[in-house]
Amino acid sequence: MAGAVVEYSRGRSTYASLRLSVLQFLADPQWLVPSMIAPVIFALVSFELFRGAGAYFLTYAILGAGMMSMWGQTLYGSGWATGQDREFGTLEPTVQSPTPYLYVILGRVLWNVVSGLFGGLIVYLVILGVAGGPPAVPDPLGFALLFVFVMVTLAAVGVIFAAFYVYTRYAGFIQNIGEFAFYIGTGCMFPVVLLPFYTNPISLFFPPTWGLDALRYLAIPGYQGFSWGFWGDLAGAIVTTAAYLGAAAALFRRVERHVLEEGSLAWY
Amino acid sequence: MSSSTWAIETRGITRVFESRKGFLFREATRTEALRGIDLTVERGAIFGLLGPNGAGKTTLTKILSTLLLPTGGTARVLGHDVVREAGYLRPRMGLVLGGERGLYNRVSGRENLRYFADLYGIPLAERDRRISEVLARVDLEGAADRRVEEYSRGMKQKLHIARGILHRPEILFLDEPTIGLDPKSARETRKLVRSLLADGVTIFLTTHYMFEAEELCPELAILSKGRIVARDTVARLRQLVGGDRTLEAEAYGFEDREIDVLRHLPGVSKVLNEEFGPVSRLTIRVRTEETRPDALREILLPGHPEVAVRERRTSLEDVYLDLVEEEAR
Ligand SMILES: Nc1ncnc2c1ncn2[C@@H]1O[C@H](COP(=O)(O)OP(=O)(O)OP(=O)(O)O)[C@@H](O)[C@H]1O
Ligand SMILES: [Mg+2]
Repeated sequence: MAGAVVEYSRGRSTYASLRLSVLQFLADPQWLVPSMIAPVIFALVSFELFRGAGAYFLTYAILGAGMMSMWGQTLYGSGWATGQDREFGTLEPTVQSPTPYLYVILGRVLWNVVSGLFGGLIVYLVILGVAGGPPAVPDPLGFALLFVFVMVTLAAVGVIFAAFYVYTRYAGFIQNIGEFAFYIGTGCMFPVVLLPFYTNPISLFFPPTWGLDALRYLAIPGYQGFSWGFWGDLAGAIVTTAAYLGAAAALFRRVERHVLEEGSLAWY
Repeated sequence: MSSSTWAIETRGITRVFESRKGFLFREATRTEALRGIDLTVERGAIFGLLGPNGAGKTTLTKILSTLLLPTGGTARVLGHDVVREAGYLRPRMGLVLGGERGLYNRVSGRENLRYFADLYGIPLAERDRRISEVLARVDLEGAADRRVEEYSRGMKQKLHIARGILHRPEILFLDEPTIGLDPKSARETRKLVRSLLADGVTIFLTTHYMFEAEELCPELAILSKGRIVARDTVARLRQLVGGDRTLEAEAYGFEDREIDVLRHLPGVSKVLNEEFGPVSRLTIRVRTEETRPDALREILLPGHPEVAVRERRTSLEDVYLDLVEEEAR
Protein backbone atom coordinates (compact mmCIF):
# COMPACT_ATOMS: atom_id res chain seq x y z
CA MET A 1 0.00 0.00 0.00
CA ALA A 2 1.21 3.50 -0.66
CA GLY A 3 2.28 4.53 2.82
CA ALA A 4 1.13 7.57 4.70
CA VAL A 5 3.37 10.48 3.80
CA VAL A 6 5.78 11.40 6.53
CA GLU A 7 7.54 14.72 6.84
CA TYR A 8 11.27 15.02 6.58
CA SER A 9 12.95 16.55 9.58
CA ARG A 10 15.67 19.17 9.15
CA GLY A 11 17.69 17.86 12.05
CA ARG A 12 17.53 14.27 10.90
CA SER A 13 18.41 15.13 7.32
CA THR A 14 21.34 17.25 8.45
CA TYR A 15 22.56 14.43 10.64
CA ALA A 16 22.12 11.87 7.85
CA SER A 17 24.20 14.03 5.55
CA LEU A 18 26.90 14.51 8.19
CA ARG A 19 26.94 10.76 8.81
CA LEU A 20 27.24 9.94 5.13
CA SER A 21 30.14 12.41 4.89
CA VAL A 22 31.92 10.64 7.73
CA LEU A 23 31.37 7.24 6.11
CA GLN A 24 32.69 8.48 2.80
CA PHE A 25 35.63 10.09 4.53
CA LEU A 26 36.47 6.90 6.40
CA ALA A 27 36.40 5.02 3.13
CA ASP A 28 39.11 7.29 1.81
CA PRO A 29 40.66 9.44 4.55
CA GLN A 30 43.93 10.51 2.96
CA TRP A 31 42.62 13.67 1.31
CA LEU A 32 42.82 15.44 4.64
CA VAL A 33 46.59 15.69 4.16
CA PRO A 34 46.88 17.97 1.11
CA SER A 35 44.57 20.56 2.64
CA MET A 36 47.03 20.94 5.53
CA ILE A 37 50.24 21.35 3.60
CA ALA A 38 49.72 24.96 2.56
CA PRO A 39 48.76 26.24 6.03
CA VAL A 40 51.76 24.53 7.65
CA ILE A 41 54.12 26.08 5.15
CA PHE A 42 52.50 29.50 5.54
CA ALA A 43 52.80 29.27 9.28
CA LEU A 44 56.46 28.26 9.18
CA VAL A 45 57.39 30.94 6.67
CA SER A 46 55.66 33.74 8.53
CA PHE A 47 57.19 32.49 11.73
CA GLU A 48 60.66 32.78 10.18
CA LEU A 49 59.93 36.20 8.70
CA PHE A 50 58.72 37.77 11.91
CA ARG A 51 60.93 35.85 14.31
CA GLY A 52 61.79 38.91 16.41
CA ALA A 53 58.28 40.37 16.51
CA GLY A 54 57.55 39.37 20.09
CA ALA A 55 56.28 36.40 22.06
CA TYR A 56 52.69 36.75 20.94
CA PHE A 57 53.56 36.63 17.34
CA LEU A 58 53.60 32.87 17.65
CA THR A 59 49.98 32.94 18.81
CA TYR A 60 49.21 35.11 15.85
CA ALA A 61 50.85 32.72 13.42
CA ILE A 62 49.13 29.68 14.93
CA LEU A 63 45.72 31.31 14.86
CA GLY A 64 46.24 32.40 11.29
CA ALA A 65 47.46 29.09 10.01
CA GLY A 66 44.93 27.11 12.01
CA MET A 67 42.13 29.23 10.61
CA MET A 68 43.51 28.85 7.17
CA SER A 69 43.48 25.11 7.49
CA MET A 70 39.96 25.05 8.87
CA TRP A 71 38.86 27.48 6.29
CA GLY A 72 40.37 25.48 3.46
CA GLN A 73 38.74 22.36 4.77
CA THR A 74 35.34 23.96 5.18
CA LEU A 75 35.20 25.73 1.91
CA TYR A 76 36.98 23.18 -0.16
CA GLY A 77 35.22 20.27 1.50
CA SER A 78 31.71 21.65 1.20
CA GLY A 79 32.05 22.69 -2.36
CA TRP A 80 33.88 19.57 -3.29
CA ALA A 81 31.23 17.30 -1.81
CA THR A 82 28.57 19.04 -3.87
CA GLY A 83 30.77 18.82 -6.93
CA GLN A 84 30.97 15.12 -6.19
CA ASP A 85 27.20 14.90 -6.05
CA ARG A 86 27.27 16.15 -9.62
CA GLU A 87 29.95 13.73 -10.60
CA PHE A 88 28.26 10.74 -8.99
CA GLY A 89 24.91 11.73 -10.44
CA THR A 90 23.48 11.83 -6.93
CA LEU A 91 22.45 15.46 -7.19
CA GLU A 92 19.25 14.47 -9.01
CA PRO A 93 17.91 11.93 -6.51
CA THR A 94 18.93 14.20 -3.64
CA VAL A 95 17.11 17.20 -5.07
CA GLN A 96 14.15 14.93 -5.85
CA SER A 97 13.88 13.93 -2.19
CA PRO A 98 11.66 16.05 0.05
CA THR A 99 14.59 17.43 2.06
CA PRO A 100 15.76 20.83 0.76
CA TYR A 101 19.34 20.56 -0.44
CA LEU A 102 20.35 23.25 2.05
CA TYR A 103 20.17 20.74 4.93
CA VAL A 104 22.25 18.22 3.04
CA ILE A 105 24.86 20.93 2.61
CA LEU A 106 24.59 21.94 6.23
CA GLY A 107 25.39 18.40 7.38
CA ARG A 108 28.41 18.28 5.13
CA VAL A 109 29.66 21.68 6.18
CA LEU A 110 29.38 20.72 9.84
CA TRP A 111 31.46 17.64 9.18
CA ASN A 112 33.98 19.69 7.26
CA VAL A 113 34.30 22.18 10.08
CA VAL A 114 34.98 19.33 12.48
CA SER A 115 37.49 17.70 10.18
CA GLY A 116 39.05 21.13 9.64
CA LEU A 117 39.62 21.22 13.35
CA PHE A 118 41.88 18.18 13.03
CA GLY A 119 43.79 20.11 10.42
CA GLY A 120 44.09 23.11 12.71
CA LEU A 121 45.29 20.86 15.49
CA ILE A 122 47.99 19.37 13.33
CA VAL A 123 49.17 22.83 12.26
CA TYR A 124 49.35 23.68 15.93
CA LEU A 125 51.40 20.60 16.73
CA VAL A 126 53.81 21.21 13.86
CA ILE A 127 54.46 24.77 14.98
CA LEU A 128 54.79 23.61 18.55
CA GLY A 129 57.48 21.19 17.45
CA VAL A 130 59.37 23.79 15.45
CA ALA A 131 58.93 26.91 17.53
CA GLY A 132 57.97 25.79 21.00
CA GLY A 133 54.76 26.59 22.85
CA PRO A 134 52.99 29.95 22.52
CA PRO A 135 52.20 31.97 25.66
CA ALA A 136 49.12 30.78 27.53
CA VAL A 137 45.76 32.22 26.52
CA PRO A 138 44.53 34.48 29.34
CA ASP A 139 40.88 33.33 29.23
CA PRO A 140 40.80 29.71 28.01
CA LEU A 141 37.05 29.18 28.50
CA GLY A 142 36.07 32.34 26.65
CA PHE A 143 38.57 31.47 23.96
CA ALA A 144 37.15 27.96 23.54
CA LEU A 145 33.58 29.23 23.29
CA LEU A 146 34.53 31.86 20.80
CA PHE A 147 36.50 29.30 18.85
CA VAL A 148 33.41 27.13 18.45
CA PHE A 149 31.49 30.16 17.29
CA VAL A 150 34.19 30.99 14.76
CA MET A 151 33.64 27.49 13.39
CA VAL A 152 29.99 28.40 12.92
CA THR A 153 30.99 31.55 11.03
CA LEU A 154 33.10 29.39 8.76
CA ALA A 155 30.21 27.01 8.21
CA ALA A 156 28.02 29.95 7.20
CA VAL A 157 30.46 30.87 4.44
CA GLY A 158 30.80 27.21 3.46
CA VAL A 159 27.05 26.92 2.94
CA ILE A 160 26.97 29.96 0.70
CA PHE A 161 29.92 28.75 -1.32
CA ALA A 162 28.38 25.31 -1.76
CA ALA A 163 25.44 27.00 -3.45
CA PHE A 164 27.77 27.88 -6.32
CA TYR A 165 28.49 24.22 -6.80
CA VAL A 166 24.83 23.46 -7.15
CA TYR A 167 24.46 26.43 -9.46
CA THR A 168 27.17 25.53 -11.93
CA ARG A 169 29.66 22.84 -12.65
CA TYR A 170 32.29 25.56 -13.12
CA ALA A 171 32.19 26.42 -9.44
CA GLY A 172 35.60 24.86 -8.76
CA PHE A 173 37.14 27.51 -10.92
CA ILE A 174 35.38 30.33 -9.11
CA GLN A 175 36.40 28.85 -5.82
CA ASN A 176 40.07 28.56 -6.62
CA ILE A 177 40.14 32.27 -7.09
CA GLY A 178 37.83 33.01 -4.19
CA GLU A 179 39.65 30.87 -1.70
CA PHE A 180 42.91 32.67 -2.03
CA ALA A 181 41.37 36.11 -1.94
CA PHE A 182 39.67 34.97 1.18
CA TYR A 183 42.84 33.98 3.04
CA ILE A 184 44.16 37.43 2.49
CA GLY A 185 40.88 39.29 2.79
CA THR A 186 40.03 37.88 6.21
CA GLY A 187 43.50 38.59 7.49
CA CYS A 188 44.12 34.94 8.33
CA MET A 189 47.79 35.33 7.64
CA PHE A 190 48.40 39.04 7.39
CA PRO A 191 46.66 41.67 9.43
CA VAL A 192 43.99 43.26 7.30
CA VAL A 193 45.33 46.70 8.20
CA LEU A 194 48.48 45.96 6.22
CA LEU A 195 46.46 45.57 3.05
CA PRO A 196 45.44 48.41 0.76
CA PHE A 197 42.53 50.34 2.20
CA TYR A 198 40.03 49.20 -0.40
CA THR A 199 40.28 45.52 0.61
CA ASN A 200 39.15 46.38 4.11
CA PRO A 201 35.47 46.94 3.51
CA ILE A 202 35.31 43.80 1.40
CA SER A 203 36.76 41.64 4.12
CA LEU A 204 34.06 42.88 6.45
CA PHE A 205 31.48 40.98 4.43
CA PHE A 206 33.02 37.72 5.62
CA PRO A 207 31.87 36.61 9.08
CA PRO A 208 35.19 34.90 9.92
CA THR A 209 37.05 38.23 9.58
CA TRP A 210 35.18 39.51 12.61
CA GLY A 211 35.41 36.22 14.45
CA LEU A 212 39.12 35.86 13.97
CA ASP A 213 39.81 39.41 15.07
CA ALA A 214 37.79 38.77 18.22
CA LEU A 215 39.79 35.61 18.86
CA ARG A 216 43.00 37.60 18.66
CA TYR A 217 41.70 40.09 21.19
CA LEU A 218 41.18 37.20 23.56
CA ALA A 219 44.45 35.41 22.91
CA ILE A 220 46.91 38.29 22.62
CA PRO A 221 47.07 40.85 25.44
CA GLY A 222 47.40 44.36 24.09
CA TYR A 223 46.29 43.33 20.60
CA GLN A 224 45.10 46.19 18.44
CA GLY A 225 42.82 44.99 15.71
CA PHE A 226 39.75 46.70 14.37
CA SER A 227 39.17 49.91 16.22
CA TRP A 228 35.75 48.85 17.50
CA GLY A 229 37.41 46.32 19.78
CA PHE A 230 36.41 42.87 20.98
CA TRP A 231 32.71 43.48 21.54
CA GLY A 232 32.36 45.23 18.24
CA ASP A 233 34.01 42.25 16.58
CA LEU A 234 31.71 39.81 18.33
CA ALA A 235 28.61 41.76 17.36
CA GLY A 236 29.83 42.00 13.78
CA ALA A 237 30.49 38.26 13.64
CA ILE A 238 27.01 37.46 14.96
CA VAL A 239 25.26 39.85 12.60
CA THR A 240 27.13 38.73 9.48
CA THR A 241 26.73 35.04 10.31
CA ALA A 242 23.02 35.50 10.88
CA ALA A 243 22.79 37.33 7.58
CA TYR A 244 24.59 34.52 5.74
CA LEU A 245 22.46 31.78 7.24
CA GLY A 246 19.33 33.83 6.75
CA ALA A 247 20.15 34.35 3.10
CA ALA A 248 21.06 30.69 2.58
CA ALA A 249 17.52 29.31 2.39
CA ALA A 250 16.42 31.90 -0.17
CA LEU A 251 19.64 31.49 -2.11
CA PHE A 252 19.20 27.73 -2.34
CA ARG A 253 15.63 28.10 -3.53
CA ARG A 254 16.82 30.36 -6.33
CA VAL A 255 19.70 28.11 -7.21
CA GLU A 256 17.40 25.11 -7.40
CA ARG A 257 15.01 27.00 -9.61
CA HIS A 258 17.88 27.95 -11.89
CA VAL A 259 19.21 24.43 -12.34
CA LEU A 260 15.74 22.99 -12.88
CA GLU A 261 15.16 25.61 -15.54
CA GLU A 262 18.49 25.03 -17.20
CA GLY A 263 18.25 21.25 -16.91
CA SER A 264 21.83 21.06 -15.70
CA LEU A 265 21.42 18.91 -12.59
CA ALA A 266 22.97 15.93 -14.29
CA TRP A 267 25.92 17.80 -15.79
CA TYR A 268 29.36 17.33 -14.42
CA MET B 1 -14.16 12.97 -14.59
CA SER B 2 -12.90 15.53 -12.12
CA SER B 3 -9.30 16.47 -12.64
CA SER B 4 -8.08 14.94 -9.40
CA THR B 5 -8.93 11.43 -10.56
CA TRP B 6 -5.97 11.69 -12.92
CA ALA B 7 -2.61 10.63 -11.62
CA ILE B 8 -0.99 12.55 -14.44
CA GLU B 9 -2.52 15.33 -16.49
CA THR B 10 -0.44 17.46 -18.82
CA ARG B 11 -1.42 20.25 -21.19
CA GLY B 12 0.83 21.36 -23.98
CA ILE B 13 4.10 20.55 -22.26
CA THR B 14 7.08 21.82 -24.20
CA ARG B 15 10.73 21.77 -23.32
CA VAL B 16 13.52 23.52 -25.13
CA PHE B 17 17.17 23.02 -24.27
CA GLU B 18 19.49 25.84 -25.11
CA SER B 19 23.11 24.87 -25.02
CA ARG B 20 26.27 26.59 -26.07
CA LYS B 21 29.47 25.22 -27.32
CA GLY B 22 32.75 26.73 -28.34
CA PHE B 23 34.86 29.16 -26.38
CA LEU B 24 35.11 32.65 -27.82
CA PHE B 25 32.56 32.36 -30.58
CA ARG B 26 29.89 30.60 -28.65
CA GLU B 27 27.43 28.90 -30.85
CA ALA B 28 23.97 28.41 -29.42
CA THR B 29 22.01 25.31 -30.25
CA ARG B 30 18.34 24.81 -29.54
CA THR B 31 16.83 21.40 -29.02
CA GLU B 32 13.09 21.06 -28.85
CA ALA B 33 12.92 17.95 -26.73
CA LEU B 34 9.14 18.08 -26.19
CA ARG B 35 6.71 19.79 -28.56
CA GLY B 36 3.34 19.90 -26.83
CA ILE B 37 2.51 16.86 -24.77
CA ASP B 38 -1.11 16.32 -23.76
CA LEU B 39 -1.43 13.30 -21.62
CA THR B 40 -3.69 11.82 -18.96
CA VAL B 41 -3.05 8.74 -16.89
CA GLU B 42 -5.57 7.32 -14.46
CA ARG B 43 -4.77 6.74 -10.82
CA GLY B 44 -3.63 3.24 -10.03
CA ALA B 45 -2.92 2.50 -13.69
CA ILE B 46 0.30 1.62 -15.43
CA PHE B 47 1.24 3.67 -18.44
CA GLY B 48 4.01 2.84 -20.88
CA LEU B 49 5.97 5.24 -23.02
CA LEU B 50 7.93 4.02 -26.01
CA GLY B 51 10.06 5.96 -28.44
CA PRO B 52 13.40 6.06 -30.21
CA ASN B 53 16.58 7.42 -28.61
CA GLY B 54 16.30 11.15 -28.11
CA ALA B 55 12.51 11.16 -28.47
CA GLY B 56 12.09 12.94 -25.14
CA LYS B 57 11.10 10.12 -22.78
CA THR B 58 13.59 10.95 -20.06
CA THR B 59 12.87 14.66 -20.46
CA LEU B 60 9.16 14.06 -19.88
CA THR B 61 9.89 11.74 -16.95
CA LYS B 62 12.04 14.40 -15.32
CA ILE B 63 9.46 17.12 -15.80
CA LEU B 64 6.75 14.99 -14.24
CA SER B 65 9.02 14.05 -11.33
CA THR B 66 9.94 17.72 -10.59
CA LEU B 67 13.58 17.48 -11.72
CA LEU B 68 13.17 19.73 -14.71
CA LEU B 69 10.93 22.69 -15.44
CA PRO B 70 8.89 22.71 -18.62
CA THR B 71 9.44 25.60 -21.02
CA GLY B 72 5.71 25.79 -21.66
CA GLY B 73 2.46 24.10 -20.69
CA THR B 74 1.31 22.70 -17.37
CA ALA B 75 1.57 19.35 -15.70
CA ARG B 76 -0.30 18.06 -12.71
CA VAL B 77 0.59 14.89 -10.86
CA LEU B 78 -1.81 13.51 -8.24
CA GLY B 79 -3.79 16.68 -8.86
CA HIS B 80 -0.90 18.99 -7.96
CA ASP B 81 1.17 21.26 -10.16
CA VAL B 82 4.68 19.87 -10.68
CA VAL B 83 6.28 23.29 -10.71
CA ARG B 84 4.47 25.14 -7.97
CA GLU B 85 3.74 22.20 -5.69
CA ALA B 86 6.94 20.20 -5.95
CA GLY B 87 7.24 20.25 -2.17
CA TYR B 88 3.91 18.45 -1.83
CA LEU B 89 4.71 15.97 -4.55
CA ARG B 90 8.27 14.92 -3.82
CA PRO B 91 7.56 12.73 -0.77
CA ARG B 92 4.76 11.07 -2.74
CA MET B 93 6.65 10.17 -5.85
CA GLY B 94 9.39 7.68 -6.58
CA LEU B 95 11.83 8.00 -9.44
CA VAL B 96 14.15 5.42 -10.93
CA LEU B 97 16.44 6.93 -13.54
CA GLY B 98 18.79 3.99 -13.28
CA GLY B 99 22.17 3.62 -14.86
CA GLU B 100 25.69 3.41 -13.55
CA ARG B 101 25.52 6.76 -11.79
CA GLY B 102 23.28 8.20 -9.12
CA LEU B 103 24.59 6.21 -6.14
CA TYR B 104 27.21 6.79 -3.47
CA ASN B 105 29.84 4.34 -4.58
CA ARG B 106 32.09 4.39 -1.57
CA VAL B 107 29.49 3.17 0.89
CA SER B 108 27.34 0.06 0.94
CA GLY B 109 23.98 -0.39 -0.73
CA ARG B 110 22.35 -0.50 2.69
CA GLU B 111 23.97 2.81 3.65
CA ASN B 112 22.74 4.37 0.42
CA LEU B 113 19.21 3.35 1.31
CA ARG B 114 19.57 4.48 4.90
CA TYR B 115 20.65 7.93 3.75
CA PHE B 116 17.65 8.33 1.50
CA ALA B 117 15.33 6.83 4.12
CA ASP B 118 16.46 9.67 6.39
CA LEU B 119 15.98 12.33 3.71
CA TYR B 120 12.45 11.01 3.18
CA GLY B 121 11.74 10.95 6.90
CA ILE B 122 10.79 7.27 7.04
CA PRO B 123 9.91 6.62 10.71
CA LEU B 124 12.99 5.53 12.62
CA ALA B 125 11.20 2.59 14.17
CA GLU B 126 10.47 1.20 10.71
CA ARG B 127 13.54 2.28 8.82
CA ASP B 128 15.84 -0.70 9.09
CA ARG B 129 13.06 -3.21 8.60
CA ARG B 130 11.86 -1.40 5.49
CA ILE B 131 15.36 -1.27 4.07
CA SER B 132 15.72 -5.02 4.50
CA GLU B 133 12.30 -5.47 2.97
CA VAL B 134 13.08 -3.59 -0.24
CA LEU B 135 16.51 -5.19 -0.49
CA ALA B 136 14.75 -8.54 -0.41
CA ARG B 137 12.22 -7.38 -2.98
CA VAL B 138 14.95 -6.60 -5.49
CA ASP B 139 16.99 -9.64 -4.46
CA LEU B 140 20.00 -7.70 -3.28
CA GLU B 141 20.21 -8.90 0.33
CA GLY B 142 23.40 -10.82 -0.27
CA ALA B 143 25.29 -7.76 -1.49
CA ALA B 144 23.64 -5.19 0.76
CA ASP B 145 26.71 -4.60 2.87
CA ARG B 146 29.24 -4.45 0.08
CA ARG B 147 30.39 -1.13 -1.31
CA VAL B 148 28.41 -0.03 -4.34
CA GLU B 149 31.62 0.43 -6.34
CA GLU B 150 31.89 -3.36 -6.30
CA TYR B 151 28.41 -3.82 -7.75
CA SER B 152 27.76 -5.00 -11.26
CA ARG B 153 25.61 -2.85 -13.49
CA GLY B 154 22.52 -4.93 -12.82
CA MET B 155 23.09 -4.80 -9.07
CA LYS B 156 23.26 -1.01 -9.27
CA GLN B 157 20.03 -1.00 -11.23
CA LYS B 158 18.39 -3.06 -8.50
CA LEU B 159 19.60 -0.61 -5.89
CA HIS B 160 18.11 2.24 -7.92
CA ILE B 161 14.78 0.44 -7.93
CA ALA B 162 15.01 -0.26 -4.20
CA ARG B 163 15.58 3.42 -3.53
CA GLY B 164 12.64 4.36 -5.73
CA ILE B 165 10.14 2.30 -3.71
CA LEU B 166 11.67 2.68 -0.24
CA HIS B 167 9.33 5.47 0.86
CA ARG B 168 6.23 3.79 -0.62
CA PRO B 169 5.38 6.42 -3.20
CA GLU B 170 1.89 6.87 -4.59
CA ILE B 171 3.30 7.23 -8.07
CA LEU B 172 6.45 5.68 -9.43
CA PHE B 173 8.39 6.84 -12.49
CA LEU B 174 10.53 4.13 -14.04
CA ASP B 175 12.87 5.21 -16.82
CA GLU B 176 14.01 2.01 -18.54
CA PRO B 177 13.90 0.02 -15.30
CA THR B 178 15.14 -3.31 -16.63
CA ILE B 179 18.10 -1.99 -18.57
CA GLY B 180 21.18 -4.03 -17.70
CA LEU B 181 19.27 -6.72 -15.85
CA ASP B 182 19.69 -10.39 -16.65
CA PRO B 183 16.54 -12.14 -17.94
CA LYS B 184 15.63 -13.57 -14.56
CA SER B 185 16.08 -10.26 -12.75
CA ALA B 186 14.19 -8.44 -15.48
CA ARG B 187 11.31 -10.83 -15.03
CA GLU B 188 11.46 -10.39 -11.25
CA THR B 189 11.38 -6.63 -11.77
CA ARG B 190 8.30 -6.89 -13.95
CA LYS B 191 6.73 -9.02 -11.24
CA LEU B 192 7.62 -6.33 -8.73
CA VAL B 193 6.01 -3.70 -10.94
CA ARG B 194 2.82 -5.75 -11.08
CA SER B 195 2.76 -6.20 -7.33
CA LEU B 196 3.20 -2.45 -6.80
CA LEU B 197 0.33 -1.95 -9.18
CA ALA B 198 -1.77 -4.36 -7.15
CA ASP B 199 -0.93 -2.22 -4.11
CA GLY B 200 -2.50 0.76 -5.85
CA VAL B 201 0.66 2.56 -6.98
CA THR B 202 0.39 4.44 -10.27
CA ILE B 203 3.25 3.57 -12.60
CA PHE B 204 4.76 5.57 -15.43
CA LEU B 205 7.24 3.48 -17.36
CA THR B 206 9.51 4.05 -20.31
CA THR B 207 11.14 1.16 -22.09
CA HIS B 208 12.77 0.04 -25.29
CA TYR B 209 11.66 -3.54 -24.77
CA MET B 210 8.50 -4.17 -26.71
CA PHE B 211 7.58 -7.38 -24.95
CA GLU B 212 8.00 -5.60 -21.65
CA ALA B 213 5.62 -2.86 -22.71
CA GLU B 214 3.18 -5.40 -24.12
CA GLU B 215 3.34 -7.56 -21.02
CA LEU B 216 2.98 -4.75 -18.49
CA CYS B 217 1.04 -1.94 -20.10
CA PRO B 218 -2.57 -2.26 -21.21
CA GLU B 219 -2.18 1.24 -22.57
CA LEU B 220 0.81 2.94 -24.05
CA ALA B 221 1.98 5.89 -26.04
CA ILE B 222 4.64 6.27 -28.64
CA LEU B 223 6.76 9.37 -28.49
CA SER B 224 8.70 10.47 -31.52
CA LYS B 225 10.66 13.70 -31.84
CA GLY B 226 8.96 15.25 -28.87
CA ARG B 227 5.41 14.43 -29.93
CA ILE B 228 3.04 11.67 -28.95
CA VAL B 229 2.29 10.02 -32.28
CA ALA B 230 -0.05 7.36 -30.93
CA ARG B 231 -1.67 6.48 -27.67
CA ASP B 232 -3.94 3.50 -27.18
CA THR B 233 -4.21 -0.13 -26.14
CA VAL B 234 -1.88 -2.54 -27.89
CA ALA B 235 -4.84 -4.13 -29.72
CA ARG B 236 -6.07 -0.82 -31.07
CA LEU B 237 -2.57 0.24 -32.04
CA ARG B 238 -2.38 -2.93 -34.14
CA GLN B 239 -5.48 -1.85 -36.00
CA LEU B 240 -4.07 1.65 -36.32
CA VAL B 241 -1.08 0.41 -38.28
CA GLY B 242 -3.23 -1.78 -40.50
CA GLY B 243 -4.25 -5.00 -38.88
CA ASP B 244 -3.28 -7.53 -36.32
CA ARG B 245 -2.19 -10.20 -38.80
CA THR B 246 1.19 -10.04 -40.44
CA LEU B 247 2.39 -12.24 -43.30
CA GLU B 248 6.04 -12.59 -44.14
CA ALA B 249 7.60 -13.92 -47.34
CA GLU B 250 11.31 -14.48 -47.88
CA ALA B 251 13.10 -15.14 -51.14
CA TYR B 252 16.03 -13.93 -53.24
CA GLY B 253 14.62 -10.60 -54.38
CA PHE B 254 11.08 -9.63 -55.34
CA GLU B 255 9.91 -7.66 -58.34
CA ASP B 256 7.89 -4.44 -58.16
CA ARG B 257 5.18 -6.09 -60.25
CA GLU B 258 4.72 -8.83 -57.66
CA ILE B 259 4.64 -6.37 -54.80
CA ASP B 260 2.00 -4.41 -56.64
CA VAL B 261 -0.20 -7.47 -56.97
CA LEU B 262 0.14 -8.18 -53.24
CA ARG B 263 -0.83 -4.62 -52.40
CA HIS B 264 -4.17 -5.14 -54.08
CA LEU B 265 -5.12 -8.34 -52.28
CA PRO B 266 -8.21 -7.93 -50.09
CA GLY B 267 -7.50 -6.59 -46.59
CA VAL B 268 -3.87 -5.77 -47.22
CA SER B 269 -3.02 -2.42 -45.70
CA LYS B 270 0.69 -2.28 -46.14
CA VAL B 271 3.58 -4.06 -47.85
CA LEU B 272 7.13 -3.47 -46.75
CA ASN B 273 10.13 -4.77 -48.72
CA GLU B 274 13.42 -5.09 -46.85
CA GLU B 275 16.69 -6.53 -48.06
CA PHE B 276 19.00 -8.52 -45.86
CA GLY B 277 22.01 -9.21 -48.05
CA PRO B 278 20.86 -11.48 -50.87
CA VAL B 279 17.58 -12.25 -49.12
CA SER B 280 14.54 -10.01 -49.34
CA ARG B 281 11.70 -10.04 -46.88
CA LEU B 282 8.19 -8.81 -47.55
CA THR B 283 6.16 -7.86 -44.52
CA ILE B 284 2.45 -7.65 -45.26
CA ARG B 285 -0.02 -6.19 -42.81
CA VAL B 286 -3.50 -7.70 -43.20
CA ARG B 287 -6.70 -6.30 -41.80
CA THR B 288 -9.10 -9.17 -42.51
CA GLU B 289 -9.13 -12.96 -42.55
CA GLU B 290 -9.50 -13.23 -46.34
CA THR B 291 -5.91 -13.14 -47.40
CA ARG B 292 -4.12 -16.27 -46.18
CA PRO B 293 -0.53 -17.46 -46.65
CA ASP B 294 -1.70 -19.75 -49.47
CA ALA B 295 -2.79 -16.78 -51.54
CA LEU B 296 0.72 -15.37 -51.22
CA ARG B 297 2.36 -18.63 -52.21
CA GLU B 298 0.18 -18.81 -55.30
CA ILE B 299 1.37 -15.45 -56.47
CA LEU B 300 5.03 -15.76 -55.53
CA LEU B 301 5.89 -19.44 -56.21
CA PRO B 302 6.08 -19.17 -60.02
CA GLY B 303 8.88 -16.62 -59.85
CA HIS B 304 10.47 -17.91 -56.60
CA PRO B 305 10.45 -21.67 -56.06
CA GLU B 306 12.44 -21.09 -52.86
CA VAL B 307 9.93 -18.72 -51.27
CA ALA B 308 9.05 -19.23 -47.60
CA VAL B 309 5.80 -17.76 -46.32
CA ARG B 310 4.60 -17.57 -42.73
CA GLU B 311 1.96 -15.86 -40.71
CA ARG B 312 2.29 -14.26 -37.30
CA ARG B 313 0.52 -11.84 -35.07
CA THR B 314 1.41 -8.21 -35.62
CA SER B 315 3.80 -7.49 -32.79
CA LEU B 316 4.09 -4.31 -30.84
CA GLU B 317 7.48 -3.94 -32.44
CA ASP B 318 5.83 -3.88 -35.88
CA VAL B 319 3.43 -1.23 -34.66
CA TYR B 320 6.24 0.76 -33.16
CA LEU B 321 8.44 0.64 -36.23
CA ASP B 322 5.54 1.57 -38.49
CA LEU B 323 4.56 4.56 -36.40
CA VAL B 324 8.06 5.85 -35.86
CA GLU B 325 8.84 5.41 -39.51
CA GLU B 326 5.70 7.26 -40.52
CA GLU B 327 6.70 10.11 -38.28
CA ALA B 328 10.16 10.21 -39.78
CA ARG B 329 8.76 10.56 -43.30
N1 LIG C 1 20.27 18.59 -20.31
C1 LIG C 1 20.12 18.64 -21.63
N2 LIG C 1 20.70 19.64 -22.34
C2 LIG C 1 20.54 19.70 -23.68
N3 LIG C 1 19.84 18.84 -24.41
C3 LIG C 1 19.24 17.82 -23.77
C4 LIG C 1 19.36 17.66 -22.35
N4 LIG C 1 18.66 16.56 -21.99
C5 LIG C 1 18.14 16.06 -23.13
N5 LIG C 1 18.47 16.80 -24.20
C6 LIG C 1 18.03 16.59 -25.59
O1 LIG C 1 16.64 16.40 -25.57
C7 LIG C 1 16.25 15.37 -26.47
C8 LIG C 1 15.47 14.31 -25.73
O2 LIG C 1 16.33 13.62 -24.84
P1 LIG C 1 15.81 12.49 -23.85
O3 LIG C 1 16.93 12.14 -22.96
O4 LIG C 1 14.56 12.93 -23.22
O5 LIG C 1 15.51 11.27 -24.84
P2 LIG C 1 15.03 9.79 -24.52
O6 LIG C 1 13.75 9.58 -25.23
O7 LIG C 1 15.03 9.55 -23.06
O8 LIG C 1 16.16 8.92 -25.23
P3 LIG C 1 16.81 7.51 -24.82
O9 LIG C 1 15.91 6.45 -25.35
O10 LIG C 1 18.11 7.51 -25.54
O11 LIG C 1 16.97 7.48 -23.35
C9 LIG C 1 17.53 14.87 -27.11
O12 LIG C 1 17.66 15.52 -28.35
C10 LIG C 1 18.62 15.32 -26.16
O13 LIG C 1 19.79 15.59 -26.87
MG1 LIG D 1 16.12 8.28 -21.82
